[in-house]
Amino acid sequence: MSDASVPAVELRDVVKRFDDVVAVDHVSLQIAPGEFFALLGPSGSGKTTTLRMIGGFELPTEGEVLIEGEPQGYKPPYQRPVNTVFQNYALFPHMTVAQNIAFGLEMRGVPKDEIRRRVGEMLNLVRLSGYEKRRPHQLSGGEQQRVALARALINQPKVLLLDEPLGALDLKLRKAMQLELKAIQEQVGITFVYVTHDQEEAITMADRIAVMNHGRVLQVGPPPEVYEQPRTLFVADFIGETNFIPVEVLRVGSTVEVLTAGGARLQAGWAEPSLNAGAPAVAAVRPERMWLHRPNTAPEGGPWNRVEGIVRHVIYHGLDIRYEIHLAGECSLHVRLPVGRGDADVFQRGEHVIVVWPSEATRVFRRDS
Amino acid sequence: MNDALRRYPALRAWLLLAPSFLWLLLFFIIPLGIIVVYSFLQRDVYGGVVWKWSLDNYRRVFDPLYFKTFLYSLWIAFLTAFFSLLFGYPLAYFIATRPEKTRNALVLALMIPFWTNFLVRTYAWLTLLRTNTGLINVWLMQWGLLDKPLPLFGNTFAITLGLVYGWMPDMILPIYAALEQIDHRLLEAAEDLYASGWQVFRRVIWPLSLPGVVAGTMLVFIPSLGAFVTPAILGGGKRLMIGNVITNQFLGAHDWPFGSALSVLMMAVMLLATLVYFRTGGDRAGQGGL
Repeated sequence: MSDASVPAVELRDVVKRFDDVVAVDHVSLQIAPGEFFALLGPSGSGKTTTLRMIGGFELPTEGEVLIEGEPQGYKPPYQRPVNTVFQNYALFPHMTVAQNIAFGLEMRGVPKDEIRRRVGEMLNLVRLSGYEKRRPHQLSGGEQQRVALARALINQPKVLLLDEPLGALDLKLRKAMQLELKAIQEQVGITFVYVTHDQEEAITMADRIAVMNHGRVLQVGPPPEVYEQPRTLFVADFIGETNFIPVEVLRVGSTVEVLTAGGARLQAGWAEPSLNAGAPAVAAVRPERMWLHRPNTAPEGGPWNRVEGIVRHVIYHGLDIRYEIHLAGECSLHVRLPVGRGDADVFQRGEHVIVVWPSEATRVFRRDS
Repeated sequence: MNDALRRYPALRAWLLLAPSFLWLLLFFIIPLGIIVVYSFLQRDVYGGVVWKWSLDNYRRVFDPLYFKTFLYSLWIAFLTAFFSLLFGYPLAYFIATRPEKTRNALVLALMIPFWTNFLVRTYAWLTLLRTNTGLINVWLMQWGLLDKPLPLFGNTFAITLGLVYGWMPDMILPIYAALEQIDHRLLEAAEDLYASGWQVFRRVIWPLSLPGVVAGTMLVFIPSLGAFVTPAILGGGKRLMIGNVITNQFLGAHDWPFGSALSVLMMAVMLLATLVYFRTGGDRAGQGGL
């Protein structure tokens, strides 16, 4: 069954409407067996509804959900080979940890001895041995999270659905659980479909990310690709930090050239295909790709973009220093430079500087996208 | 003064509690004390009280005549609680699963009939249930569905019906409150873990609503045990509950000491029932983490 050529989960042109609201708008996805797949988007982007349609908690208005090549049709959750880790865990408050974890097996009539053995194994896996008799309210957030994971994984689902599983944890615990979840996923080899609004979480954990907004999937790809080659303004903005410079398109085609409001000409590595010369657009550059130079040391020529500006803020961050550079034409850029390259390279507030970055790191988007 | 209050939070608590404490002392604890004292005294021939200690009243309580009435009252209270739960739970569940706006409207609808005086509503039942002139029997006979009127009045059925009608909101509201608090995701989680509809109810909804069921049952059982208006009207003077006997001792027979003894016994039974019930059902309900 787990033939690598058959996707673990496939969505074919799935639409979900609630009354007049389109929550999910013609989404098609293929998730490979064993993959850690993240659905990333802001609240209301349709990511949770998409997950719920895979789980069977919602049925698609149009289109089809397939699990291991099998159309799921109107099957209720308990007939699908998937299990869910719910937001806020949804642990049964009146049951012990062991009873919670055993619930799924008990409902399927698995013999008591086997249940006991497998509950023990699961507690081991999530490092909660000895917690059998505790009740959920006696556990910390991280422990509850692990019980929820064990309660789902004990059923050996083909696909595990996780709905913002770390959302309720504080930052430090969340980081620790990210690593732990990833390790568990690699150990059990089950396909994970992971809903989150936290782009950092998606980038650190997922094999591939689908970025969603307004019910649509805007881009699907491995984290480096989504981060470095965003294909819409929304993706560039939502994932990581980005500088946006309003520009006018001068030339598209094999080389892309744009003009800033301050009158600087910039070369870009990529432009949205629908852009034509003369169109208003936005040039996007990641702050860590930019460098600062004093006017006399700036490189001339080569594959570089250059704009002049004035240092407005200098913020020390430990690993790096962040500069806010004011450009002509009511625009400012954020630049990050590593610390510790000598005092000569620390710029002062009010200093006149040239911002330099590789032209291939420049991506041009439509303003309205 | 202010400093003293700040330094001794317990003093502040006591000051805040003083008014309600005084109220309870004057109008609850002292009258209760009087009843307990009376129950050990004797009546005089004119309906007054003679200050002579005696246990005669308690001996009389166990006279089969009164004791049977007592057992009958327990039976009625049990039936009332049982049927209130049987009919009230589904209704509470229905209300709790509606959208919020509908929910509030339904709870209000539930309360509206109770803005009318209880006596009036009980008489309304009388016009429906009376054996020969009650609307139900009259209509059923007019339509030729019956030859003889149904025994709808002056019996256990009529009293239980009246009490269930009167106390059902006290069953519904706590159950509704408990059901409403159940996180919807728990039901989805159970469904996700292969539970059928019945299993979701049996394993998740019911145990989590137990605190409401326990509270509701007590709220219905206790007033039903002491009821006297409903049995007086719908019992047609034929079936008496202990509440009627007590009323009669105070208002008719002018035997306050004996009436007091019956009251004390009834309170003792209620207290015992409450303790036993919370020990068993209450403990299990406590697992709901509430």
